[in-house]
Amino acid sequence: MSGISAVFLRRRIALSAVAALAIALTAYTGSSSAHGAARSSSAGTLVVDTSFIISSADPARDLDPTGYIVDHALYDTLLTEHGSSTKVQPDLATSFKASPNATTYTFQLRHGVKFSDGTPVTSADVVFSLNRVINLKSAPAYLLAGLKITAKGPYTVVIKSATPNPAIPQIVTAPALGIVNAKAVMAHGGSDAANASKTDHAGQFLDQTSEGSGPYTLTQYSTNNQITLTANPNYWGPKPKFAKVVLRDMTAASQLLNVQRGSNQIALDLSSQQADSLKNNSSLQAHTSASPNLFFLQATSNPKVSPVLANHDIQQAIRYGIDYRGMVATAGTGAIQAAGLIPVQFLGGLPTSYAVKQNIAKAKKLVAQSGLKNPTVTLSYPSDISVNGLSFATLAQRVQYDLGRIGITIKVQAVPVAPFLTAYSADKYQLVQSYWGPDYADPNDYLVFLPGGSVSSRMDWPASANPALVALGKRAGSTSNNALRAGLFKQIQEKLDQSSPFFPLIQPAQAIVGSSNLTGVALNPSWLLSVAEVGTK
Amino acid sequence: MSTASEAIELPARYRRLPRVHPALRRPLAVTGAAILAIWVLVAIFAPLIAPYGPDVLGNSLSAAPSSAHIFGTDQLGRDVFSRVLYGARISLPISALLVLMSLTIGSTVGSLAGYFGGVVDGVIMRIVDLVFAFPAIILALVVTAVLGPSLQNAVLALVVVSWPTYARVVRGLVMSASQREYVQASRLLGASARQTLLRDILPNVIGPVVVLATLDFGNAILLLSGLSFLGLGAQPPTAEWGAMVSYGTQYFQDWWMSTFPGLAIFSSVLALNFLGDSLRDALDPHGSWTTRGGRR
Repeated sequence: MSGISAVFLRRRIALSAVAALAIALTAYTGSSSAHGAARSSSAGTLVVDTSFIISSADPARDLDPTGYIVDHALYDTLLTEHGSSTKVQPDLATSFKASPNATTYTFQLRHGVKFSDGTPVTSADVVFSLNRVINLKSAPAYLLAGLKITAKGPYTVVIKSATPNPAIPQIVTAPALGIVNAKAVMAHGGSDAANASKTDHAGQFLDQTSEGSGPYTLTQYSTNNQITLTANPNYWGPKPKFAKVVLRDMTAASQLLNVQRGSNQIALDLSSQQADSLKNNSSLQAHTSASPNLFFLQATSNPKVSPVLANHDIQQAIRYGIDYRGMVATAGTGAIQAAGLIPVQFLGGLPTSYAVKQNIAKAKKLVAQSGLKNPTVTLSYPSDISVNGLSFATLAQRVQYDLGRIGITIKVQAVPVAPFLTAYSADKYQLVQSYWGPDYADPNDYLVFLPGGSVSSRMDWPASANPALVALGKRAGSTSNNALRAGLFKQIQEKLDQSSPFFPLIQPAQAIVGSSNLTGVALNPSWLLSVAEVGTK
Repeated sequence: MSTASEAIELPARYRRLPRVHPALRRPLAVTGAAILAIWVLVAIFAPLIAPYGPDVLGNSLSAAPSSAHIFGTDQLGRDVFSRVLYGARISLPISALLVLMSLTIGSTVGSLAGYFGGVVDGVIMRIVDLVFAFPAIILALVVTAVLGPSLQNAVLALVVVSWPTYARVVRGLVMSASQREYVQASRLLGASARQTLLRDILPNVIGPVVVLATLDFGNAILLLSGLSFLGLGAQPPTAEWGAMVSYGTQYFQDWWMSTFPGLAIFSSVLALNFLGDSLRDALDPHGSWTTRGGRR
């Protein structure tokens, strides 16, 4: 499972205000000319402005948000999702079968699919691509941890897991698990051997050319300027509407200006407030929805770090003392209170009606009941990043004020993200304002929050603290019946709300703004935007 | 043409100036002093003037200026007007303290260097040169980055970068003053170094140093706000002007969040510059303080 550090560092993290400002100043000068170029080109070009976070166009090497947009357009995956839904749909695989104990998944591949160079796609390519991900040991490798991939004939792929893993269909939708042309990639230094992390040199090649079967091919790749995609003539599925897609690296401020000036434009990084300010503009469409990201508080369970927080009454007082409505309002249109840790749009997500409601009288009573005089807690948060345009400082100040009202004194401590993560993992903090971005749209990604899980262990919540809950988590994580699994995960979250060091706060708002002539402008929880699904009215 | 034109017109420079109150001859000084006085009063009486507490989160978020919130509210529903008023309680006294600290350190070190000369002077002035070699804000950034972001550390960092200015000016002044006959006489009569420095030399040095301190005060407010703007000074929820401007830039469509604290910085710095310039004209007409070099 990925550490939260990886999640922190790669998911939709805006630059700090300072850096963003500095870049905004330089980007302003560049944006006008770039826009001029886009406008003069044919109507068959879609322009997507986003703040680039991308490390490679090689799917096996990148988990970054911009990388996901690109990979999803260039490479097909076994299964996929459409629009903003997280429902698994066929892609390269037309169907799959799960064994009753959810350890073996058999995928039937689509016949007649060709890579952009005309080579047919077979099970060998799938096995090569997925094994390459595993053996490169790059960021996406953890997605396939504990899985064994084999081919059974040219059009059948079998994925076996050592332990029951009903999340596999959801996992294989990840753009990082895109299927590459095995022959072409091997010819350019690619390898799926056990020592691939040392011997594979195809990364640079895949930054220049795409070797996939997806709706687009890569024509230009520059990580600090723009990425150009051209429609793949050999694509097996419905032809994408736009012959060309240009992704441009723009700050939110430039995106706000650009999207108002043209047609066939999409801006991905506007804050919910900025999107709101464009709602009355008839030439634009603005959508805000709850992002699958989760802001939460995490308390230490180690009485040596904070005797105050180890007290159950204080933990519950915190839960009832926070003004969630005020917090949601601060986060802007589209944000919602998180009832549990799993996003509401995922399987097993608790509906908002289950959410804890602020109850000051109850919280004050709990503080008095704890017997502690003037309880004081230090709340630490990363000072130099923001998620979905929302800074951690904003939420931390809300928490400080709300808990001050029920008699818990909060000292806030701002720490730059790198030292913050180090101290967070070392159980140095009393209370942390933290965040989790999903790696794939499945509740199994949240098992790390159970006692003894990788997130819980950061602040000393061991498996021994609640063995019953751990057992319930094991059961939920390995149940293959999805309805049953959803029920178990809901049960787990309700238990966590009754007693745990986790305090889910909000799912912030994610905004997408596009020209009003476009269709298919929808936010996907995993890859933000599927450019191939964007069309015109 | 009036009949007066038949009288002999004197060139302007021979004409008698109209009688005005001495203060009005320095309108800038009066303006500066008035603005500063207002800010000092605001700082003292902020709890009485401010309609809300600085950290009270209200229910109207990001509200434009209205009668209930004349400067609007920020993202968390705090009253910007109240926060700007409370901000004076941080920016003014802390900048004053900062100036006082750098003045004390710089003057002491500078007068030792100027008075004793030789090796003492050499060592001290090389240290001063070393600090001068870096742009002030960059050095302050480095120091706060090492010490960790907080208001105290920001003040420490700024003291580190600003004392050499005083050291250099005071050294020069002390050097020239100690060549004077009366200082020589006092030393011949057996006065100790301390006596000579405090009694004979200090009165000659104080004028330019006061001018420098006044101008530096404005500069200190600016640097302190600058560090807070970069997230290295005051930490949330402190109502510090620079931090407020920085916070407001995240929501630039809500212009009031950063404009009003920005105006507060602007007006107080302007007032101190007016006052400093006028003081320089009055106390130090020869401009000896410019010996610090064209650093700013």
